[in-house]
Amino acid sequence: MEENQKQSTEQPPESRFQVSRSTLLIDLWMGRIIRLGGISVVIAVFGMLGFLVSQIFPLFSKAKVESLAPVNFSQTGNVALGEDEYGEMPFTCDTKGNIIFRKAGDSSVTKTWLADFKTATQASDGQNAAPVSIPVTAIKTYPRDGLVLLGLADGSVRELKINYKITFDKNGKRELEPSIDLQYAGKISENNSAILEAWSVKGTEGRLYICRQQKDGHDLLTGRRLIERKGLGGKAKVTVSEPFPIAADVTDLERVLVPSTADSLLVIRKTGEVRVYQNSENTFSLLQSFKPFGDAKNAQIAAAGFIFGNVSVVFQGNQNEEVVWSLYPQKQADGQMLRRWGKIHDCETLAGVGQGIFPAAGNKCYLSVAGGRMQIRNMTNGSIRWEDSAPASPIQQVIFSRNYNRLSLLCEDGKVYRWAITDHHPEASWNTFFGKIWYEGAEGPAYTWQSSSGSDEFEAKYSLVPLIYGTVKGTFYALLFAIPIALLAAVYVSHFLRPEWKSVIKPMMEIMASLPSVVLGFLAGLWLAPLVDTHLIPILCVIGVLAPSALLAGYIWSKLPQPVRRRVGPGWEFAYLFPFIVLCAYGAWQLGPTIESTFFTVKDLASGQNISDFREWWRQSTGLNYDSRNSLVVGFVMGFAVIPIVFTIAEDALSNVPNSLISGSLALGASRWQTVWTVVVPTAVSGILSAVMIGFGRAVGETMIVVMATGNTAVMEANPFNGMRTLSANIAVELPEAAAGETHFRALFLGACCLFALTFIVNTFAETLRQRLRKRYKMN
Amino acid sequence: MSNARFQARPATDQTGRPDFISIKNFGFWYGEKKALKSMTLDIPERQVVAFIGPSGCGKSTLLRNLNRMNDLVDGIRHEGDIAIKGQSIYDPGLEVISLRRRVGMVFQKSNPFPKSIYENVVFALRVMGVKNRAVLDEACETSLRKAALWDEVKDRLNDNALGLSGGQMQRLCIARAIANRPEILLMDEPCSALDPIATGKIEELIHELKAQFTIVIVTHSMQQAARVSDRTAFFYLGELIEYDTTEKIFMNPGQAQTEAYISGRFG
Repeated sequence: MEENQKQSTEQPPESRFQVSRSTLLIDLWMGRIIRLGGISVVIAVFGMLGFLVSQIFPLFSKAKVESLAPVNFSQTGNVALGEDEYGEMPFTCDTKGNIIFRKAGDSSVTKTWLADFKTATQASDGQNAAPVSIPVTAIKTYPRDGLVLLGLADGSVRELKINYKITFDKNGKRELEPSIDLQYAGKISENNSAILEAWSVKGTEGRLYICRQQKDGHDLLTGRRLIERKGLGGKAKVTVSEPFPIAADVTDLERVLVPSTADSLLVIRKTGEVRVYQNSENTFSLLQSFKPFGDAKNAQIAAAGFIFGNVSVVFQGNQNEEVVWSLYPQKQADGQMLRRWGKIHDCETLAGVGQGIFPAAGNKCYLSVAGGRMQIRNMTNGSIRWEDSAPASPIQQVIFSRNYNRLSLLCEDGKVYRWAITDHHPEASWNTFFGKIWYEGAEGPAYTWQSSSGSDEFEAKYSLVPLIYGTVKGTFYALLFAIPIALLAAVYVSHFLRPEWKSVIKPMMEIMASLPSVVLGFLAGLWLAPLVDTHLIPILCVIGVLAPSALLAGYIWSKLPQPVRRRVGPGWEFAYLFPFIVLCAYGAWQLGPTIESTFFTVKDLASGQNISDFREWWRQSTGLNYDSRNSLVVGFVMGFAVIPIVFTIAEDALSNVPNSLISGSLALGASRWQTVWTVVVPTAVSGILSAVMIGFGRAVGETMIVVMATGNTAVMEANPFNGMRTLSANIAVELPEAAAGETHFRALFLGACCLFALTFIVNTFAETLRQRLRKRYKMN
Repeated sequence: MSNARFQARPATDQTGRPDFISIKNFGFWYGEKKALKSMTLDIPERQVVAFIGPSGCGKSTLLRNLNRMNDLVDGIRHEGDIAIKGQSIYDPGLEVISLRRRVGMVFQKSNPFPKSIYENVVFALRVMGVKNRAVLDEACETSLRKAALWDEVKDRLNDNALGLSGGQMQRLCIARAIANRPEILLMDEPCSALDPIATGKIEELIHELKAQFTIVIVTHSMQQAARVSDRTAFFYLGELIEYDTTEKIFMNPGQAQTEAYISGRFG
């Protein structure tokens, strides 16, 4: 006793109250590390968002166009322009057909070629007549092909090929050496009068020459084909067709448009009428005639031009009109679908008289000049890429370089004005991604995703709407399947099942959540889809019978006398329910084929016999498609991926409802179901909502299952027996083949952003709702 | 030790049935552990009976058996019988739900549902299937008046019950328990989490409710047992040591253990 007192009165050493240095240091550093970690996470999230935005930002920027120094060709009546690939050495043709090359940098002349075509020396009376120069009467250049076509006064044409030879001098400096070869010389028509205009295009069937001459005061169009057939020996055999008249019925000819496919021809009359002639067996027959600005106005066509791809023409009028006509399938009076010309776009207009439509090479842009202004526009989505004032002098010819990075304008003042274009995504606009667009060849405006094709002239279609639709559709079917099952299972496991069973089932479900989705997708695509395909009706019967049979079991149960019910302990009811449901499901499965043959018998179109096949019935009675890899399969399997997480979180929320509330409710005479429904579920509702949201997030972002279990067709149909393409699957499938920095690549990033926005909006909404519910049912 | 400080209330007139709740040779096990040794006692109608005793003595277990709340626990077993108005509560033909509608219960910790005050009070009626708004309104007002809460909450019946103070919440739970007019009200330490003023209010309430309900109250406070009850049962280690009028128990206990306990020597 004494010792104790002694000890207690002794002052303990001061060090007992001191905190050791290491404790303080660890505390300090752990605090810093945790803070660093938290900040890094925030930075990482914002960094990713920033990266996404930086990737998609260029899509919505306009073209950057810089003016370059003009090349001065001096005023010598230059009428046509051509240039090399890099625009280093443009050339012009003057009215006499002389070709002058100049350096783009200092406008110095590098080569001059003088047109001097003589009549062939003819042997008449043994004497040689002195050769006579034939004046050039028509000049046309095809800068992309390096061709110059000259029409002569005697009714013949000369086609010249311009070649640029690249040489390097001693210092390794690059030099261009232009050369001119005569490629074709000959007559196109029998008529010997002067050629007023000439065209030369190379289509699939060979080269087509067309010339315009005058006869008896009328315009006369004549065509001639050069058909080249390459033999096995290698030497090409060229056959020249007989001259054939084109559009002999046309009067008041104003302008002729020849597409580079050489299979049709548009003749524009002074009256504003356009006549389309289609090639058939080396004659051009009238296909259609139309007035681009409508019948009401007698508006003349001021300018027109074929857009790259040769199926669309932009017409410019004198009174602020600009429209696009294109060739697309149209329903005729007799019900046939035929490709005919029709208006697909009404463009924004520049005020003033149209002065020219000049298409770009390689994309759907064109230069529209009117009223002293000029704009580069995209034909498809109507976006204006660039606008500036046009040179004061009238424009003779316009060249867009092949890769759409340079624009050259030859004007009457002898100058070639030039601009450098930086426009990586001319086909991108808000409308392209989210609006209905009438693409060439389509029957109407539509939301289309079609990012690649075999053809170079193909125009990629980047509407994200079908993908968003597919995402929503896939998510909807998955959640439709998963949410009821997961939530009911969570309610059952948390409040009805015996604890020893719960301790087995819960971890099992959690393991299910870790199943790789590629495995599920594999199962869905290779096992479930074929199974559902052949047993659709029995499967639907089984699904349909589950809930009613459970309700029926409950009803029978409630009618059983209390002593019988007492024998089944609480939590063991499933032992009674399970065999009952299995029996009902089995019955429904067996009944399936009978139901199918009773209700879904249709006449097989192939054999003409009656067959009982739901798939055929669906196709015939609804006119909708039936795919083997359809939304139902995706719903099933994606549901399987979603169920475990929704179940786990909802079960936790339901189990966490305080026991005092449950006892309180039971003590007031509520049944277990009443307790769960009126007390437990409302109390846990915010947690249940979180579970649903996490399930939603999983379903929206799910990729592999959708890639493997759907056809990945970007269609917009609510049809449950059709596939879909989701944003995430789209990224997975197409990103490997998209070149970095291209429109396609950035469009995929835009899809990723949409996915992010979709989850963000839905989650924000759900979180707001959850906070409200939590406030309402908050526990103290 | 004088017991004079316990101002035991005189037993009220026993006009009701003396064996309203009849516990006969009742024993109870949690698994292997015997929680209650065989005991017999009768609880008369419209009286307040207090169960007292140290923690773990089985008083709450017995209380929770009266409405079979112990059914929720796994591995329980009982012997003997409990009868209410002569009918065994273990009768196989008797729904446990209807038993609980007859025997209301108030818990130690107030447990209002996260709903409005109104919905809390009419909960029992709602689960019984009452939909008539007038009946519900009437029951709500009556119950809240009986629970002496009406004046405090009548203007905010649609507010969340969790916004009430601790004492109000406990009175709300009492109102909720009496809304469907049970015959018996079980109270499991109803005032243990309340301050003296709230406790006083609840005790007042018990006095008033006695006119209509048979009340069994478990309490750790001997003063409270003395103040509110007509009869008191003292439990110790799962055994019923003594059961008599409150006056007798506190003034002149028959058993030494009882005396030791109420005079504060153990427990």
